[in-house]
Amino acid sequence: MKNDSELYKQICEYLGCDFDSGPCKEIQDHLAKCPSCEVYIDKVKKTVHLYKEIENCDEIPEKVCQKLFLSLNLNEPKTNESKTGADNHDFQRFRH
Amino acid sequence: METKPQFNEEELVAKAQQGDRNALSQLVVNYRSRIYHLGLRLTGTEQDAEDILQETFLIMVKKIHQFKGQSSFYTWLYRIAVNIGLRKLKSKPHKYQHVSIDDPDIEYISSTEIADWPDFDYSKFARKHLRKKLDQLIEKLPDIYRTVFILRDLHELSTEDTSKILQITPSNTKIRLMRARNYLKEELEKIIDKEGLI
Ligand SMILES: [Zn+2]
Repeated sequence: MKNDSELYKQICEYLGCDFDSGPCKEIQDHLAKCPSCEVYIDKVKKTVHLYKEIENCDEIPEKVCQKLFLSLNLNEPKTNESKTGADNHDFQRFRH
Repeated sequence: METKPQFNEEELVAKAQQGDRNALSQLVVNYRSRIYHLGLRLTGTEQDAEDILQETFLIMVKKIHQFKGQSSFYTWLYRIAVNIGLRKLKSKPHKYQHVSIDDPDIEYISSTEIADWPDFDYSKFARKHLRKKLDQLIEKLPDIYRTVFILRDLHELSTEDTSKILQITPSNTKIRLMRARNYLKEELEKIIDKEGLI
């Protein structure tokens, strides 16, 4: 694999893409016979997963919100939608 | 590809552009958490995150009439927030010495098995220690890599949107993401090697 710079390039490119879509056929074939590359990619994936697990973009401290609306001179909507942490279904739309 | 916004965001934006205060408020509600967490990851401090949040929405309120709809609204808003965040970073000394970033050394065989790594269930209640380590690693990334990692992997924006927000090419976005992920993996691996399961 060390000599196969084309494959190395492909693997690097894959490491910068969406993992959901899976690697191309050539990478798949290589991984089937090269455990070190396979483990390497798995570790990168696991790292990304760990970060996704701990990140919670749906919550914001209540005090920060109040100050924000005050500084904008806007009224914070008082519906369920406006509740802190209620934005998460909206967040889903970024997922591909 | 961008996904179509729910809640008919176009209408909301159009109303806000005509000065509808309720529409403006709703846009703030829709994006406040994400902008706050973006700022938090960019700068690593709650105070800076709060400043970025306020400045971003102040600009939104002031300039929303200038939004032409050539990109989606959230890419426009994210771009404002990222620029404010990066400006803030430049104005102060870095908490950590930024690291140098390498391409993957795939042939390197490490002593840890993938099974030694924390699993996903474990990370859900991730111990404070693991969390802190992961946070610190992000902060050590140079800005150009950190921004891409935050947008792509933490906020789950597409390569296209991330490229638009950062005004770089999609292939640049991919290269930076690959290097950021690789750096984080390498550093996490060092920690696991040294400390075992964290
Ligand atoms: Zn290999």
